[in-house]
Amino acid sequence: MLIRIQGGRVVDPTAGRDGVGDVWVEDGRVVAPSERTPDRTVDATGCVVMAGGVEVHSHIAGGNVITSRLLLPDLYVSETAPNGHPFAHAGGAAAWIGAAYAKMGYTTAVEPAMPPTHALATQLELADIPLLDRGALAVMGNDDQLLQLLRAGESRDAVRDLVALNVAQSRALGVKCINAGGASAFKDGVLKLSLDDEIPVYGLSTRTIMGSLLDAVEAIGVPHPLHVHCNNLGLPGADDSFVETLDAAEGRRIHFAHAQFYAYGAADPANPGTGGFRSAARRIVDAMHANPNATLDIGQVVFGQTVTVSMDILRQFGGRKGANPKKWVLNAGDAEGGGVVPFLYKPRGPTSSLQWAIGLEIMLLSNEPERTILTTDHPNGGPFTAYPRIIHLLMDKEERDREIATLPKVVGERSSLPEIEREYSFSEIAELTRSGPAKLLGLSDRGHLRAGARADIAVYREDRNRTAMFASAKLVLKDGVAIVEDGEVVHWHVGRSLSLTVESDKAMERRTDAYLQDRFGQGLDSFAVPDAAFPEAEVFEDVACRA
Amino acid sequence: MTAWVKGDATDAEGAIAAAAALLAAAHAPVFAGLNADVAAIRAAYRLAGTIGASLDTQGAAGTYADLGALSRVGAMTSTPAEVQGRADVVLVVGAKAGTSTLASALRGSKPVRGLAAGADRQVLAVAGASAQALASDLALLRAHAKGHLADATPLNEIARALYAARYGAVLYDPAELGELGVETVQGLVRDVNEITRCFALSLGGPDQDRSVVQVAAWTTGQAPRTGFGRKVPEHDPWRFDAARQVSTGEADAALWLSTLPAARPDWLGALPSIAIVGTGSPEAAPGTAEVVIAVGVPGASAGGVLWNEGRAALTYRPGTGGGASAADVLARIEHHFAGKDS
Repeated sequence: MLIRIQGGRVVDPTAGRDGVGDVWVEDGRVVAPSERTPDRTVDATGCVVMAGGVEVHSHIAGGNVITSRLLLPDLYVSETAPNGHPFAHAGGAAAWIGAAYAKMGYTTAVEPAMPPTHALATQLELADIPLLDRGALAVMGNDDQLLQLLRAGESRDAVRDLVALNVAQSRALGVKCINAGGASAFKDGVLKLSLDDEIPVYGLSTRTIMGSLLDAVEAIGVPHPLHVHCNNLGLPGADDSFVETLDAAEGRRIHFAHAQFYAYGAADPANPGTGGFRSAARRIVDAMHANPNATLDIGQVVFGQTVTVSMDILRQFGGRKGANPKKWVLNAGDAEGGGVVPFLYKPRGPTSSLQWAIGLEIMLLSNEPERTILTTDHPNGGPFTAYPRIIHLLMDKEERDREIATLPKVVGERSSLPEIEREYSFSEIAELTRSGPAKLLGLSDRGHLRAGARADIAVYREDRNRTAMFASAKLVLKDGVAIVEDGEVVHWHVGRSLSLTVESDKAMERRTDAYLQDRFGQGLDSFAVPDAAFPEAEVFEDVACRA
Repeated sequence: MTAWVKGDATDAEGAIAAAAALLAAAHAPVFAGLNADVAAIRAAYRLAGTIGASLDTQGAAGTYADLGALSRVGAMTSTPAEVQGRADVVLVVGAKAGTSTLASALRGSKPVRGLAAGADRQVLAVAGASAQALASDLALLRAHAKGHLADATPLNEIARALYAARYGAVLYDPAELGELGVETVQGLVRDVNEITRCFALSLGGPDQDRSVVQVAAWTTGQAPRTGFGRKVPEHDPWRFDAARQVSTGEADAALWLSTLPAARPDWLGALPSIAIVGTGSPEAAPGTAEVVIAVGVPGASAGGVLWNEGRAALTYRPGTGGGASAADVLARIEHHFAGKDS
């Protein structure tokens, strides 16, 4: 079917495009303008047309997300399901996640924390998220097999082979490390860990573990750089951890997850534990400008009740007494495990207001929105459904001032947000939410509207109220099929799970099988994610490694 | 596929049509057991969502003891392989945990990972002569651990041992302890963690409840038991108890799904019912229910994803290729309702 989206303001920064024009679609792809009569013409007059949104870091599946639902059965509200999917209105469920993203014009979402020991459960859950293409990052950096191998000083090739095997077995899209060595250290009694502190038993540090993973990711040719969750998340002085970790990358590609939670300078450097924090957004942004090898996503804070889910069990244990309501789960798993701690970002509370300001500040100070990707680290900073409101605040200085006026004065005393005049353009929003995340994931078929792109397209009615505009797309196409019209799902399209094509080394397979047999009494086959395990056919789509 | 309707052998199509007709005639059907592979559990949720049924599980007593405590006070847990690899002190609570395979394995081995590697492993026990005595001992143990009691008793020694451990673990069977007992264990573990590491480990039952909990959570956003009678998933462990609904007459039809071996609920004959069971099981017989459909056994004759207790994870188990899948049968029943507003 040939579709012409006609007369909208087409915004595609990757092609320098921002003006009224048409977008043509055929067979699931964007095509060059055609002489033929289209089968369907969409009147996009008064609308903004962008590529579908791409999410790089949102906790949408896996054991910790499951636990959060069990811990807080009342976090979401379920409504009756009038529109053809029995679970689409079940708050927090997989179908609800797919529908909520699609209505905002998002068409791809990545779960950043898949433990290879539980890859099958995570992938089964992801496959039940409708409407979107989805993917997951394999988490390494605390597993005994890797740490043993590093302790023994084995070759870079051995580390590469083990990482490749984990990616291949779990059918991941990339690799992440979470407070590398932190979970292992926590199990051995450590409660605070910085980049060069020794991990008990192994004689390693976060620096050495992360460095080996940075090398392995490059050697394998994983398109997405190593996705790094640093030490000391959320603590005053965490900006030091961020900058030291960036330096430790020594020019290698690196992605920083939820950077907002590290942009906390100690307000009183002599007493970092008690003096509170002030914004280090400028320091983080300057470091990013000086290091073109690095990218970050924000982890913007949203006021209200949420639940924090993280495989950084050392930090989640440290934060347990801030649980609100006062209950939490910490599972010390086979490698990381997970911590689930409910949290209330108090509306107009001084600490949460400053956190809120710092996330916006990083985005507004950054010269390169493509390397400054919008996330809330859902649900850790807040729900992803807050994106339209965040976009509104970025695009509208007056709206920002109105919100700041309701907040405590610490926002102006400890951050520069009130002084920033900048307003994001549509092109910059597209970089922040489309082209940036797509490039970061190495998915060249999306995040833009050039001929050949996957026809994942969002059409929004232009509205000064950007919250309303981006909350409810007029039309969303996924693979050229209309899935959302006027903010409602009209077709329950089934997307794919994106999985990297990686060959695993046979010798490492045998070696790992023996290791697992010894440790679990079960071998590699018990960790497999075979097609036969999935109730539906054609769940996965291959993504190639870098040449 | 072997199938019977009202005692008479029939083919798949006939049994599926009879099952659909039985459910279509019901106002408040209940699904019980869910003792099957993930695909079948998932298909049961879809069918229940379509027709407005409620769902209950085989191992509900243990599952709700854990889930109830979890949603009230949280939890601090570990995995079987981690406890075997790291624990230098293990406290086994209750008779069932005491006789578990894991407890015997722990008694016969030493930690091999972490700071305790190579040390001897101390395996302690609070058995309790009765449920009441166990509850009382657990409460006293926590009081000792908190420092509220300090008399020279074995419980005090156990509390001291947990504090002296590098990596302690508390093993229990949730069905034996009940919700209050699980809360006490979790409270004890939390208290000890002010000083050193200690984790609870709940032993799973001989059922697929831990698969059901995951499928329910990602499908409906909540734990089982689940009801769809009002066209919205509602989580209510009391209201959607299948046995309770049958005994009060609230339910007027039942579907029992148990492709893995389990005893049939004693109430199954009390109302119009469907049984989807594993080929070769004692329940694959004409008298089990009004409609009986025998399908492949996951991990034996059919492939399927099952709870893997040793790894505390979901694992795919291939089959030999014989027998229809329960998921397929459930989907075909659901197909009868396609386009109809139940």
